[in-house]
Order: sequence, then C-alpha cells, then structure tokens
Amino acid sequence: MRLGYVIGRITLSQQEATYSGCRLLLVQPFDRGQYEGAPVIPLAPGNSLVVYDNLGAGSGNVIGYIEGPEAGMPFPQPSPVDAFNAAIVDDASYSPPSA
Amino acid sequence: MIVARIDGMIVSTVCHPSMVGCRSAICQPIDESGRNEGQPILAIDPFSAGLHQRVLISTDGVSTRAHVRDPKSPLRNIIVAVLDDSGKEPT
Repeated sequence: MRLGYVIGRITLSQQEATYSGCRLLLVQPFDRGQYEGAPVIPLAPGNSLVVYDNLGAGSGNVIGYIEGPEAGMPFPQPSPVDAFNAAIVDDASYSPPSA
Repeated sequence: MIVARIDGMIVSTVCHPSMVGCRSAICQPIDESGRNEGQPILAIDPFSAGLHQRVLISTDGVSTRAHVRDPKSPLRNIIVAVLDDSGKEPT
C-alpha cells in the first residue's frame, strides 16, 4: 500500500462491466517530501494514476491505495482493476531518524 | 521480502473492512547499511514494532489475507518479522 493525494475524478463513457457505475479517482502518489508535509504539486512530473474507489474519497483527501493483482481481490469475479483505494487517511505521523 | 525501517504510522477510520483493527505502519525500505532505498510504503503491523526498528515485509497478499482472515481483502504488505538490533552490522 502507498499514500497518494486525490487531485481529481474520472468519469467513463464506455467501460468494462466491472467499471460500470464506479468511482475513479485521479491520484498523485506521495514521495518522501510529501510524507514530511511538503505541499503536493498536483500533476507534478511523475506518475499520477487512476484508482478504483468505493469509500467515497474526494479531491484533497489523502488515501492509501494498493496496486497489483491484490487490487482485484475484493471483486466477485476476476476483474481488470489494478489500483484500489483501501483507506482514507485521517492522520499520518511520520518521523524518520534525523541522522 | 523487503527489509525496511518503521518511520511512522497512519490512522484511518474510513477503510476496507479487513483493515479495521490493524495497525498500519509507514515503512521505509533500506539497504544493508541502513540508507533509504526508494519511497516509503505502508504495511500491516501485527507485532506493533517500535519506531525506527528494522522489519521484514512480505509483499505477497496470501499471507496478509490469511492474517486478516478475509479472502477478499486487497491488502498486500505485511510485516512478518522484526529484525534483531544487536548493534552488530549483518556480515
């Protein structure tokens, strides 16, 4: 699982059966600076990705998303989902060693 | 599996049902001499390891799903061991 900052939402017109009637979030992954509280630059050069969401996260939330085959586990049948929102983060305490 | 150092934890009230009651630790993968390697990841922590302790993370979902007893859980990273900080560098 990794943390990411929700910067938008995606709506689909044509989609696979799994994606019908779902919420998709545009997420900018955190790098170490953002863990320490640096401001998030939406659409910074990097890898923003689309995450399947059924928890109701909105723009500005920090979420914990999971990538890979495990992201398709919660669905009844095998599904083409590779990024799944597992948690909306309320608070993160991050204190790396200073040395 | 990944060797990592615990750098913090997150609190999340709205989350997947299989995550309820699990402690989620922010872990920073490190190399053998302790330098940071890549971006931090989150892992389920059944051992309540302390801050800056070195741990072993399994990134295979099977052991995590067995731990949270939910075959439909999307969770993936789980801490499977807390490394011994005997002060001696691993040879």
